[in-house]
Amino acid sequence: MIAVGALLHVKQLSRSPFEIAIALFVPVVQATLAVYLFRAGGEPDRLLEAAVGAGLMGVWSTVLFGSGGAIQNQRWQGTLEMIMLAPRSPALVLLPVTLATGITGTYAMLATLAWGRLLYGIPLDFAHPVAFPVAVAGCIAGLGMFGLLLASSFVLLRHANALANMLEYPIWLVSGMLVPVTALPGWTGPVAAVLPTTWGARAVHEAASGGPVWPALAVCLAISLACLAAGWVLMTYVERRARVTATLALA
Amino acid sequence: MSALFRLVGVGGVIAYRALFNWTTPSIFVGTLLVGPLFQLFFFAYLGREFGVADDRFYIVGNAVLTAALACVFGGTMAVANERRFGTLGHVLLSPRSRTAIFLGRVLPYAGNGLLIAASTLTVAALLLGLRIPPTALPGLLLALATASLACGFFGLTLGALGLRFRDVFLISNVAVALLLLFTGVNVPADDLPAGIRAVGAVLPITHAADAARRLAGGVPLGDVLPAIGAELAVGVGYAVLAAGLLRVFEAESRRRASLDTL
Repeated sequence: MIAVGALLHVKQLSRSPFEIAIALFVPVVQATLAVYLFRAGGEPDRLLEAAVGAGLMGVWSTVLFGSGGAIQNQRWQGTLEMIMLAPRSPALVLLPVTLATGITGTYAMLATLAWGRLLYGIPLDFAHPVAFPVAVAGCIAGLGMFGLLLASSFVLLRHANALANMLEYPIWLVSGMLVPVTALPGWTGPVAAVLPTTWGARAVHEAASGGPVWPALAVCLAISLACLAAGWVLMTYVERRARVTATLALA
Repeated sequence: MSALFRLVGVGGVIAYRALFNWTTPSIFVGTLLVGPLFQLFFFAYLGREFGVADDRFYIVGNAVLTAALACVFGGTMAVANERRFGTLGHVLLSPRSRTAIFLGRVLPYAGNGLLIAASTLTVAALLLGLRIPPTALPGLLLALATASLACGFFGLTLGALGLRFRDVFLISNVAVALLLLFTGVNVPADDLPAGIRAVGAVLPITHAADAARRLAGGVPLGDVLPAIGAELAVGVGYAVLAAGLLRVFEAESRRRASLDTL
């Protein structure tokens, strides 16, 4: 059910010119900016890092706006009630939606890598060529699970998209997607440590540039599973509350 | 003439207040005041990491850029939301100048952009330890106001496309992303290719960011007036373009009876 649901929602998202254009174009702009910054900073050897980092930023944006937007879209389409009325757990029905946003996020990663290779001639010499796609897939799965927690929170909020707008840059920053975590103030360390995005980004960067991939990926997936459990509980609570107060469509 | 000013001023304020059918003060603070601050921090730390330029370059430049968020999307929404809420036909049926109506709508958004840019600059300077000479403040305010106005008219130009194309927010999202790159706010102009610099010269923010940085560095206002003038010229150019596009697309939508069908 999760696989079929995720495929369905990937197809649906892939039919949206808005989603596709944003997933492909904005990360490429970010990657271009990063390449000029890396070059200006005398770090031309790290251009692959720039492309991968911009791709990760695109994945996070897709998950963040996709998870919030997916719920809102269901609400606007009038299908949120049907999802909640399904005989399966609402979390199980919504998980494919959030996983699909993560999978759609791979467009961003593919776009930045292809753009870097074709336009700037960045060699795709991954330090761990086998581990890299596994790390990306694990990161995306982790973010999809994290997305369920976001989605279940967003169901409660009428202005979920506005909250999503606020969360994009902070997560990019503290997760070390482009700026190393070590460059940030010390107090951001504990915040970064509990985010699956931090460990997912670390795993992907280490697969690309060298370093121990699997421990970071394992921590990413462990935190993501915890987020999945929390999202599951929250979604169940939200669904019951919405049924009692009859506010699902109004929330 | 007073009726025209009333149409532009009061009409703009009423349209701006109508936004609050979907937003609230907490959302305003979160999206328009806190969000841009994080954007600034992101690029400030990125700049520190690579040592491409000093904090003043990133803090002042990105503070000017934050005006774009409210102004570009606001200018776009000034037209696009009329269609979304089904009131575009009523506006276009008005016997008054639609050009004046729509140009007037930009003014509150420009004020909004100025507020955002000024608050972002203040908070970021305090938190990241940037000292700005008090004598630079009037000039900075002028540069930020000019940038906000130029961004508002740029947004209105994009919004005018909403009379012709359905998904205008796709255009404005892409435009805001491009401003990050083309305006030279985050990469010094010397490190950008000539093509990007040339495009940046006809975009809002570029000249105002340059002026604001020099002002914050202690350069007298008189020396940066040409840059502020260039920003104003860019803004006026987009105002004229927006007015032209609104007229053309309105006439076309009436002729093809396609106003609400796109």
